[in-house]
Amino acid sequence: MSNSVRKRNQEKSGDPPPPTFSETLSRAFTSEAKWTDKDEFLDVIYWMRQILGILLGLIWGLLPLKGIVGLALFFAVNIVITYIYFTSYQKVDEEEYGGVSEILKEGLMTSFSSFVVLWILLYSSLHAET
Amino acid sequence: MLADCLLIIFISICTALLGEGLTWLLVYRTEKYKKLKAEVEKQSKKLEKQKEVEASDRSQKKKIERQEERLKNNNRDLSMVKMKSMFAIGFAFTSLLSMFNSIFDGRVVAKLPFVPISFIQGISHRNLAGEDYTDCSFIFLYILCTMSIRQNIQKMLGLAPSRAASKQGGGFFSPPTQMTK
Repeated sequence: MSNSVRKRNQEKSGDPPPPTFSETLSRAFTSEAKWTDKDEFLDVIYWMRQILGILLGLIWGLLPLKGIVGLALFFAVNIVITYIYFTSYQKVDEEEYGGVSEILKEGLMTSFSSFVVLWILLYSSLHAET
Repeated sequence: MLADCLLIIFISICTALLGEGLTWLLVYRTEKYKKLKAEVEKQSKKLEKQKEVEASDRSQKKKIERQEERLKNNNRDLSMVKMKSMFAIGFAFTSLLSMFNSIFDGRVVAKLPFVPISFIQGISHRNLAGEDYTDCSFIFLYILCTMSIRQNIQKMLGLAPSRAASKQGGGFFSPPTQMTK
């Protein structure tokens, strides 16, 4: 459902209008921001992870990091950064989102796929012997 | 190798956009789908809120079960609406994929920075000569690209189902729940 359709439906049902992109961005960078819409916060986690996955793929491909160490390190870094973000920086109540695991799983596998693609791309073009 | 990788990423973006475009044309823009989807989302959110409040009496529990049943039925109807179109789109994409597979057959498109586990090697080393399992085949890279690109495109275009609806689950292949007596 596009944003304009969602907005119309929400206005009809009396729900507050969905936040704009700049409002969400501002909240994402504000410590202990107030998140009235749970989906908004989870979307921030999702997109933060996608960007993190791409960055880590680029870095791992440039260094290069190889093997199971590279894979394990990706999961460790991704999960730790996400955990620190929502516990220490945003200080959200995990129970409102169904527990720590629900937040930690948000967007993890998609982020992993993006990471692996970038890792393979950089590694193949810079370090592999043809 | 870089050219091959970039080409596969480009193919993946195009097929994801084409897939979502066709699905929008045949499914998403139909009135029946929009109505059912709005209904499922509304019911999912309502059910989630009701489950947060612990039901103490039997009538409350029965009410929740009835709503769950209604949601499952709506989810099944939603799946039915999508099914015919999805078969057609799936068939078209299988043909497209076969064509690309034959173009890239036997070609090492990338080098993996890791050795995949044995059951993944069947895909990552598909139709490639030799025993070097860091050689990457077209299909493995294409699947990885599609997993990331398609999901992100759906989210960007607002076509992904809401979390509440996904959590409540259901769909065509879920067994019907029994009504409480």
